[in-house]
Amino acid sequence: MITVYVPRDSAAVSVGADEVAAALEQAAGERIRLVRNGSRGMLWLEPLIEVATERGRIGYGPVSPHQVQGLIDAGMLDGADHELCLGVVDELPWMRDQQRLCFARVGVTDPLSVVDYEAHGGLTGLRQALAREPADVVAEMTESGLRGRGGAGFPAGVKWQTVLDTPGETKFVCCNADEGDSGTFADRMLMEGDPFCLIEGMTIAAHAVGASEGYIYVRSEYPDAVATLRRAIDIAYEHGWLGENVLGSGLRFDLFVRVGAGAYICGEETSMLESLEGKRGMVRSKPPIPAITGLFGKPTIVNNVLTLASVPRILADGGAAYSELGIERSRGTQVFQLAGNIARGGVFETAFGITLDELINGYGGGTRSGRPVRAVQVGGPLGSYVPVSQFDLPTDYEAFAAAEAMLGHGGIVVFDDTTDMSKMARFAMEFCAEESCGKCTPCRVGSVRGVEVIDRITGGEDPDGNLAVLNDLCELMTDGSLCAMGGLTPNPVRSALTHFPEDFTVNHREAK
Amino acid sequence: MALLKEPDLGTPAKPGPATVSVEVDGHPVTVPEGTSVMRAAALSGIDIPKLCATDSLDAFGSCRLCLVEIAGRPSTPASCTTPVTDGMRVRIQTPRLEKLRQGVMELYISDHPLDCLTCSANGDCELQDMSGVVGLRQVRYGYEGENHLDLDKDTSNPYFDFDPSKCIACSRCVRACGEVQGTFALTIEGRGFESKVSAGAGELFLDSECVSCGACVQACPTATLQEKSVVDLGMPNRTVLTTCAYCGVGCSFKAELRGDELVRMVPYKDGGANEGHSCVKGRFAFGYATHPERVTTPMVRDSIDDEWREVDWDTAISHVARRFRELQDTYGQGAIGGITSSRCTNEEVYVVQKMVRAAFGNNNVDTCARVCHSPTGYGLKQTFGTSAGTQDFRSVAQADVIVVIGANPTDAHPVFASRMKRRLREGAKLIVADPRRIDLVRSAHIEASHHLQLTPGTNVAVVNAMAHVVVTEGLTDESFVADRCEDFDAWSEFIAREENSPEAIEAITGVPAAELRDAARLYATGGNAAIYYGLGVTEHSQGSTMVMGMANLAMATGNIGREGVGVNPLRGQNNVQGSCDMGSFPHELSGYRHVSDDAVREVFETLWQRPIVAEPGLRIPNMFDSALDGSFRGLFVQGEDIAQSDPNTSHVTEALRALDLLVVQDLFLNETAKFAHVFLPGTSFLEKDGTFTNAERRINRVRPVMPPKTGKHEWEVPGEIARAMGYEMSYKHPREIMAEIASVTPTFAGVSFEKLDKLGSVQWPCNDAAPEGTPTMHVDAFVRGKGKFVPTPFVATTERSSRKFPLLLTTGRILSQYNVGAQTRRTANVTWHPEDVLELHPHDAEERGIGDGDEVTLASRVGRTRLRALLSDRMPVGVVYTTFHHPDTGANVVTTENSDWATNCPEYKVTAVQVGKGVTR
Amino acid sequence: MTTMSPVMRMAHDISAQFRHLSLGEAADVIADHMRKFWDPRMRAQLVADVEQAGIHCDSHVAAAARLLRSGGG
Repeated sequence: MITVYVPRDSAAVSVGADEVAAALEQAAGERIRLVRNGSRGMLWLEPLIEVATERGRIGYGPVSPHQVQGLIDAGMLDGADHELCLGVVDELPWMRDQQRLCFARVGVTDPLSVVDYEAHGGLTGLRQALAREPADVVAEMTESGLRGRGGAGFPAGVKWQTVLDTPGETKFVCCNADEGDSGTFADRMLMEGDPFCLIEGMTIAAHAVGASEGYIYVRSEYPDAVATLRRAIDIAYEHGWLGENVLGSGLRFDLFVRVGAGAYICGEETSMLESLEGKRGMVRSKPPIPAITGLFGKPTIVNNVLTLASVPRILADGGAAYSELGIERSRGTQVFQLAGNIARGGVFETAFGITLDELINGYGGGTRSGRPVRAVQVGGPLGSYVPVSQFDLPTDYEAFAAAEAMLGHGGIVVFDDTTDMSKMARFAMEFCAEESCGKCTPCRVGSVRGVEVIDRITGGEDPDGNLAVLNDLCELMTDGSLCAMGGLTPNPVRSALTHFPEDFTVNHREAK
Repeated sequence: MALLKEPDLGTPAKPGPATVSVEVDGHPVTVPEGTSVMRAAALSGIDIPKLCATDSLDAFGSCRLCLVEIAGRPSTPASCTTPVTDGMRVRIQTPRLEKLRQGVMELYISDHPLDCLTCSANGDCELQDMSGVVGLRQVRYGYEGENHLDLDKDTSNPYFDFDPSKCIACSRCVRACGEVQGTFALTIEGRGFESKVSAGAGELFLDSECVSCGACVQACPTATLQEKSVVDLGMPNRTVLTTCAYCGVGCSFKAELRGDELVRMVPYKDGGANEGHSCVKGRFAFGYATHPERVTTPMVRDSIDDEWREVDWDTAISHVARRFRELQDTYGQGAIGGITSSRCTNEEVYVVQKMVRAAFGNNNVDTCARVCHSPTGYGLKQTFGTSAGTQDFRSVAQADVIVVIGANPTDAHPVFASRMKRRLREGAKLIVADPRRIDLVRSAHIEASHHLQLTPGTNVAVVNAMAHVVVTEGLTDESFVADRCEDFDAWSEFIAREENSPEAIEAITGVPAAELRDAARLYATGGNAAIYYGLGVTEHSQGSTMVMGMANLAMATGNIGREGVGVNPLRGQNNVQGSCDMGSFPHELSGYRHVSDDAVREVFETLWQRPIVAEPGLRIPNMFDSALDGSFRGLFVQGEDIAQSDPNTSHVTEALRALDLLVVQDLFLNETAKFAHVFLPGTSFLEKDGTFTNAERRINRVRPVMPPKTGKHEWEVPGEIARAMGYEMSYKHPREIMAEIASVTPTFAGVSFEKLDKLGSVQWPCNDAAPEGTPTMHVDAFVRGKGKFVPTPFVATTERSSRKFPLLLTTGRILSQYNVGAQTRRTANVTWHPEDVLELHPHDAEERGIGDGDEVTLASRVGRTRLRALLSDRMPVGVVYTTFHHPDTGANVVTTENSDWATNCPEYKVTAVQVGKGVTR
Repeated sequence: MTTMSPVMRMAHDISAQFRHLSLGEAADVIADHMRKFWDPRMRAQLVADVEQAGIHCDSHVAAAARLLRSGGG
């Protein structure tokens, strides 16, 4: 039997992976063992067929269903050459140059196979952790330098330490999988491509802080991820990886999936907790911080999917090894997601420090339209627009902050030179108005006024006066908002104004 | 006084000593740990601008007006949600902050109507105030942008309007509805700019779950939620602090007047009982005081078939005195008597009982507590040594297990219910013993751990079985029992008998034995356990026994004598406690001292210069019986509608008809007045000057908002009757009456109007040993020394269902109405409860072919009435329920003469009845 | 039952509570309760009613009434 891989990842499925898989079964069902793996993250190559050979896994893609028979006829199952043949996948520059820790198994294994999981290093971290005292596990996390991958970059070890130090019979571990930022999809790919990794990371967290229950809060737009996670959790229970006595250690940990209801704000951790409690997703004031007063008022770890999925490897290899990667205070790897107007989009995990230029023009291959890049938005809809002149910025939390930008969740959306940046600024305010929870005044009212003021500016109505109003509003939203939603909305607005002021003048707009 | 504006420190107080020192704009202040920067600043004398913060609600952090700078931090955190840390240096006024605050206000005003000058909140609007405070001078966004100015006003509630165009989305109303009231009727609908306050799912306020407690109106910083009376009359300009005259919670209110016109009643934050909360009755239902049906002139007639004649006070009083003396001359000194009212002040009650004992020369005085809480008096006196609840209301915040027996606090004691619900939401466990599934059993964020749905009339069996579990499962608090109590062994031998086991009584009570065992274990082992009870305990043939049964249970588990525990009657009327304290019972002088006690009598005889009869006099039901046998001929009834409120109406009216002289003093020509020969107009609480004592023994001041509409203070009337009967009894002011009460009553020795005006209120005992009163009783020893265990065998009531009367009727109250409805029926509260209805289980209804809303006949062995059916699975099969607020229904037409064996408190809660469809049957 | 006088009805209600005591103890408690809470006229009425009822009267009530009569009401 020849093992053939066709991804089950929803990005691959959206471009026909299921049909390709069906065509393969039909054409060569008796000769192959078909594995539905996760995606390798080279989304321009999906659907990507991989055939296991003595040389390694040979890739073919992107494949249309009608091309399958031809590929088989051409000897694909023996790894034969073809115009769609990419060679050994692991040796493609995109794959070869990455440092995949978090995504090590994604695209490689069958996501729901416990055999695959353990064969590829799964459970090593959890076993290491269970053999150690909770405080030692937290110390390992602190040493690793891992910072929250959800966007804020708060040191995970410090957060865990706080939960560990807060007395309480009931504690929770919550995974924030409400991945709502534009141009981000790494959480989803991980949940679909290696769900056990997240489960293992959460279980380690539970042991480290003394939690007995965990929740994964997944956005409703991710039905495949929800299904995969639920199945994986069932399997984990069947194998004693979850439940009353995890791996025979005496640890009790129960894990549940909860599905959101389509509100962007529920990606904000306190809103997510409100939503998990069955309430309207509204931001809580901090303090108290969730680590002390979290879900149902109990001490709670709230971490992003990628943060928790980084944990097993840290425990397996040690915090010191992890912290050797990266630069400055940004340690380890970041999972970059290249999206928007880009030739080669997808997931690229590598140590912090790589420049935007390397990512976008190097691995990404520039714009898909072939026109020059004008700007990229990094870190989601609340991230700044970075002009090409700053493409030498190293990906580092502090370097970005110094440039009034942010790395956020690692999403990078590319725009070419036809983009009207005043429209992008307006969109930022519109997005905020649409998604604001409505609790605090600067965000609730300010975002609506922001749209109106930008319209006045671009309409030529007292541009100087209204620019001053807009600046004051941005300052108010930054300093005065309750949470990052309102607080960061000025980022895209201000960066557009700073780097592309000409887009806000009437002359420019009329010229367009 | 001028209009009282209470300080608002922004966030609630934190408990504990002041240990954290901070500096606010250079001013040092030391506050308890956990205090917000906002509150610390306010305590140092500096108000930080705010809109969403108010000290009755947890900090919310939404308006962003209260931003401050803190040394060492780059951000500008909200002062309401930021707790102080030692050594913190806070800046309140900096150019950066000023600009931010102006920016926030600019946003608010860009979406707010600019009609301040004609707005009903003009002068009492925090948005207006803050606009001034931050120095807003322009709104650069203009007023043409997206806004909410066209939203429709909701005027459906009879007492307040909701104008969403003025809403600033601060959520204070929503939070008040949840945190303070615990109803969670309000919510924010939509998100972002579309966020809108909503009563339920887009409903009108009137159609929603809203209970009209007024908390949202009070919390609203603008005119969005506004009393209709303020809209109609304008802003009040002066305040009188007084006490509500509805239930036994005894809420303190600010009566806010415009000149002499009462504009609104606003709950007072410093009120010990209510701490700033209210219910629909106290907050809004005061219109009866000026209702056109009020009678303000004395009236006389020779026969009850004659028309009334208006007379002046002197004529009325001399007529009353002459007729009483004639009756005594003909039929003997004991042929007349009086009934005091729990609606009246302590001072008014005291003078009535003094008139009876000193001027009438007998002990034929009783009070309406006879028909409600007399078993409480008896039972707690026997076991603990004094006739009162053991705790203050605040104590419930320390309870871990709350037991509610025969009480429906969310309807009958709503403000206390809100305090209780807050504690339940914090995690305290709840046990409810009630035949009916009252709201508390399952409501927003609250679910009872155990609902013991017992058959009416089996309370004692249930409480005995709980005690049985405690004793037989080794859950007794041995050291408490050994140190603090007596007669335990005999009691425990009795209670441990198999006949008292949950299994043995299951068939009688209908309560599953396992459930009852679990409830008993929870009570005994769940931490501080507190019992709260109502008339579902007392109004039974074993009412007094049940009170003692609960006292036994509390003592056996050591749940007495500290905060968070106790045995607590929820008193029905504003001054039940007080009227009992004042010596209204025929066997007791003030302070619960028996008339046979020579030393006690001597105190009164010396002061009053009259001999006091050493034998008990007649109780209310005995008066009726004696009237029918001809030995009792004249009665003075103060503020109580016995013809409607007492059981077995036909028996009562027959007795009243038999009297030669019935004198009624009341606000309205009530049902009793139909049988009266003299009607003396009474005063409403808005005209009274005196004190009420609530269920927690708290003596509160009642202050007059207006002069008596009758031209005479009610406390003057008994003195004038007494004088006309030849006994000199006069006071210049009610404070003199309280001074006399204090001089003859050891538990009141330290009470005076001066002290009450200074401290706000005190809880008796208040004397040299406890100059500022006693919140918790029996702390180191019981009032009687040792707590006494009294065996309480269960004796089934003789009132039981039969083939002819197969259902059991039980009665109660509803939120919007009060008792016989004399007051609430004369307010807009009838919006919610225009008639009494009969609740019955759908199964019982179906068997009788009764549909929801059908008119039905309710019949017992003594009478029949008709009312509308309400099908409800709150009721167990076989039990029906109604209220007694409307005279048309006259629920007491069907209740019987059965009563508590010890006190004659009527057995209102169990009547065997039949229900039939239609009115003829 | 309906033919019973009010004081007889009340006396029976009271005596029903003390079935667990011996006749002598119960009579003491019942009589004591009546002395404390009943108007002397009611006690006199009871004594008269019990005499009239004779052997048809409940034994506890009768015993209490005897105490009331001998103890001067």
